[in-house]
Amino acid sequence: MIEIVLRILIYGAVLSGIWALTASGFSLIFGIARILNFAHGTFFVLSAYLSILLIKNLGFNIFISYAVSVILVGLVGVVIYKIMMAPIREHEVMVIIVTLAFALLVGEVLLLIFGEHGISVPSFARGFVEIAGVPITWKRISVFIAAIVVIILLEYFINRTRTGKMISAASQNLEAAMIVGMDVERLFVITMFISAALAAFGGLLYAQVFAASPIFAFKSLIFAFAIVILGGLGSVRGSIIASFIVGYILTITINTLGARWGEFMVLVTIIGILIVRPTGLFGVEE
Amino acid sequence: MSEFYRDPKIFVIVVLLILALAAPLFLPDAFVFLIGLTYLFIILAISWDVIVGYTGQVNLGHTVFVGIGAYTTALLQVPSRFEGTFLNALAGIPQPPVFISILLGGIVAAFVGFVIGVITLRLKGYYFALVTAVLPLVFIQFLYVWSDIFGGEEGFSVGLERALAPDSTGKYYIAFGLVVISIITLYFILRSSIGYKFRAVRDDEILAESVGIDIVKYKVLSFVISSFFAGLAGAAFVHYRITVGPSLFDIPLMLLIILAAVIGGLGTLYGPILGGFIIYLMKNWWLKSISGISAILPINDEVILYTILIIVAILAPHGIWSYIRLGVNKISGKEVR
Repeated sequence: MIEIVLRILIYGAVLSGIWALTASGFSLIFGIARILNFAHGTFFVLSAYLSILLIKNLGFNIFISYAVSVILVGLVGVVIYKIMMAPIREHEVMVIIVTLAFALLVGEVLLLIFGEHGISVPSFARGFVEIAGVPITWKRISVFIAAIVVIILLEYFINRTRTGKMISAASQNLEAAMIVGMDVERLFVITMFISAALAAFGGLLYAQVFAASPIFAFKSLIFAFAIVILGGLGSVRGSIIASFIVGYILTITINTLGARWGEFMVLVTIIGILIVRPTGLFGVEE
Repeated sequence: MSEFYRDPKIFVIVVLLILALAAPLFLPDAFVFLIGLTYLFIILAISWDVIVGYTGQVNLGHTVFVGIGAYTTALLQVPSRFEGTFLNALAGIPQPPVFISILLGGIVAAFVGFVIGVITLRLKGYYFALVTAVLPLVFIQFLYVWSDIFGGEEGFSVGLERALAPDSTGKYYIAFGLVVISIITLYFILRSSIGYKFRAVRDDEILAESVGIDIVKYKVLSFVISSFFAGLAGAAFVHYRITVGPSLFDIPLMLLIILAAVIGGLGTLYGPILGGFIIYLMKNWWLKSISGISAILPINDEVILYTILIIVAILAPHGIWSYIRLGVNKISGKEVR
């Protein structure tokens, strides 16, 4: 019994950390530009495929290839924003449709090139450690630590640096931010880069422990939705807290009922939240 | 009165009706079958346009209502699927006639739409889009979990004797009848005061609310109407193809619906009819022939369709119908609005 509880506790923490990165990225760009980016899950799996290419075909070192693929995916995010989102930002229906079409396009191309089987990327660390009799791999521990470090850096960036403060100011009131002379378009581009890079890093961590596949782009997007709805649309801190709640709900469901109930529980959670507390834990009334 | 005779619209409609009715006389059987399916697909495109184009609420789970309609009619026709499951009691229910069962497919889909609409549409903003995006995944998961009833990945057959008609020509005319009824019904709903309220909600929620329109009520109503026709078409699909299975209702179909409506023009009714016709035939006819390219390049018919969608959405977000209307108005000398 204690074994199961401990396993759920640790596995849940690892999963939650990964989702916290992904969902806060989704939340950031929505918060400032009111863009619902349906291609966010694509950034998540794209980085895993990129880093595998870099390691296997170009012989890159693991850490360098991770850094390069996170930056590359961030740039892809900026390019996608410039080409596909910025020209039609006023037309919110179209933004959703275009980003969804882009996500499916990339998914289909990845499927044609790599096949439907999932891929894993090399992990930061090997071996395992026993905690109260339960063997836990260093892989999971290092992933959890990496996720927490990035979350702390993100919090620091948003609350302490000048650019971060500008982003959160523009999220609160875009017009006022323009009036006081902020270059809002530049902030959008920076936020898009960070948002895509966070998803990319989340995907790299996920692919170390589990496996990333083209189909998983859509699933990861849906988990991000659930987290963002629970945390409140546009609130980064809400997303981080909510990802731990959703992460544990998922881990408990998968460990007790089986993996196929995962999405079902997520939907039940979303519907439950929308009935009880429509604006989420930290959301603001629109 | 003379205005009426000179209206090119009436002329075009009459020509199209004659063409559609005469088509099975000179087209090969396989085409007749495919065009009949296209008619059912058009119902999906125009019903999606009701909630998205006319009411401005992004519904990404339209295929779920297609699936609900499909499985409702399939299970009504083959209640023996319930035998030996926890719903054993339902195994003995008598089978309704095929057309009643198709109608029930629409009604059950509309009811599910009502429940989901009441929960998600009272919230402003994006919650509806997010929740409807999750629905297809959950729906397909449902089909796998209770595969004893739903037949899992392969689905099940409803039997030849429960087809819409014994041959393709019969099916074609029934599908054509269904699409014409759907278009006429939606035309009158959208031209009525209800339709104008849908558009008021889409264009400015706050303004609509301040002139006394109950925005939640009209959003839910629009969603229920849209889901009803999706369920109806889904149920008709089952009796057209004799089988039901999850592959009919997955994400590629959703994208096809979006593509048809966006290319035709959101919120125009005629646009999605045209778009649905072009896209469904294109996807199932000549795009099949280019699949040879995927051996060399990572391109297949879906990649091409997604690329078209992205390009159209960015460059011509109002769809082709707006250009056609512009052209027709120019020819007939009307003021261009």
